[in-house]
Amino acid sequence: MLTDDEVRDLFSAYHDRELSPERSDAMRAALDANAELKREYSAFCRMLDGLSAMAAASEGPLADVSPPPAGALPPTVAAPPDAPSPDLLGGVQRRLQKRSGGKFYGDSWSRLAGILPLELIATLVLIALVVAYAAMTMVSTHPAPVPTIAPAPSR
Amino acid sequence: MTLDLEAERALVERLKRRDEAAFNLFVRAYQAKVFSLVQRMLGNRAEAEDLAQEVFITVFRSIDSFRGDSRLGTWLYRVAINHCKNRIKYLDRRVTRGHDALDEEGSKALTEGGPVMSRPDRPDESMQGRELGTVIERALGLLEEDHRTLVVLRDLEGLSYEEIMTITGLPEGTVKSRLHRARAALRDAIERGLGCKLPE
Repeated sequence: MLTDDEVRDLFSAYHDRELSPERSDAMRAALDANAELKREYSAFCRMLDGLSAMAAASEGPLADVSPPPAGALPPTVAAPPDAPSPDLLGGVQRRLQKRSGGKFYGDSWSRLAGILPLELIATLVLIALVVAYAAMTMVSTHPAPVPTIAPAPSR
Repeated sequence: MTLDLEAERALVERLKRRDEAAFNLFVRAYQAKVFSLVQRMLGNRAEAEDLAQEVFITVFRSIDSFRGDSRLGTWLYRVAINHCKNRIKYLDRRVTRGHDALDEEGSKALTEGGPVMSRPDRPDESMQGRELGTVIERALGLLEEDHRTLVVLRDLEGLSYEEIMTITGLPEGTVKSRLHRARAALRDAIERGLGCKLPE
């Protein structure tokens, strides 16, 4: 014969049908023999049914819609989440782009920036500007020779 | 969404090549599950949204360490649970535990009765509507983190003992005995919140 504490310790295993047939029979007998233990076990099952209902509700339209077992909490108990699950993809992409320096989920410019450090790009742009300026200066300091027009031959 | 083994293997290979399209598919397939798990562990939507994103970033970075000993989803759960544990510790350290459902007022209401849960004359009346769902959510948040993890994984996420063993690293006997203690603690917390015994 199981003691009251032993019965309480087996609530989960009995509910989950994990006991051997002999042990299960002993549990059933113990619960039938003690109204208080039986009430405790019913309350325990009611709580687990409530958890199951919550789990089913959060699965949305794909949830198992089979009728709840006898004694299960009413469906309204399984409160759906206040709002649907957010779309995380955009946020994940932004974080990955930022943390990878644009290597992932970047546009072509940020991909280039991810490969080449910004300092290097800035230096290249500066060099290009200096070269362009120098070229323009050289052109302006050496003006093109003024074409000379040969005098028309006199008759 | 559950992928068969072959499709999962192919997806993992693409993830290891840092294939962005594959990663997009992966996030879309698992984001609801991860968010649900994280929200139940933290009890705060904003924290959960932030942390769920971090979970996926960790997967993106460390997918190379996935050896295929378990299903991808189970491994993802383990990453998520580890993140949750770290975040809970961090929030506990900050004292300002961002626990919407478990703020001081709510906790007080749960244990003493209050604006959220006035004690009913008939206990079964308190079980109507969304009230019990709220009570369970709050009671869940009062559990120790290890207990909460097991109840969430087993009773809310519906994972098998084998999957829970993989995720938590605990042996089967420990998972079962700890789960039973967690359920008993949850029932006690609910009854404290209701101010009476759970009705049959």
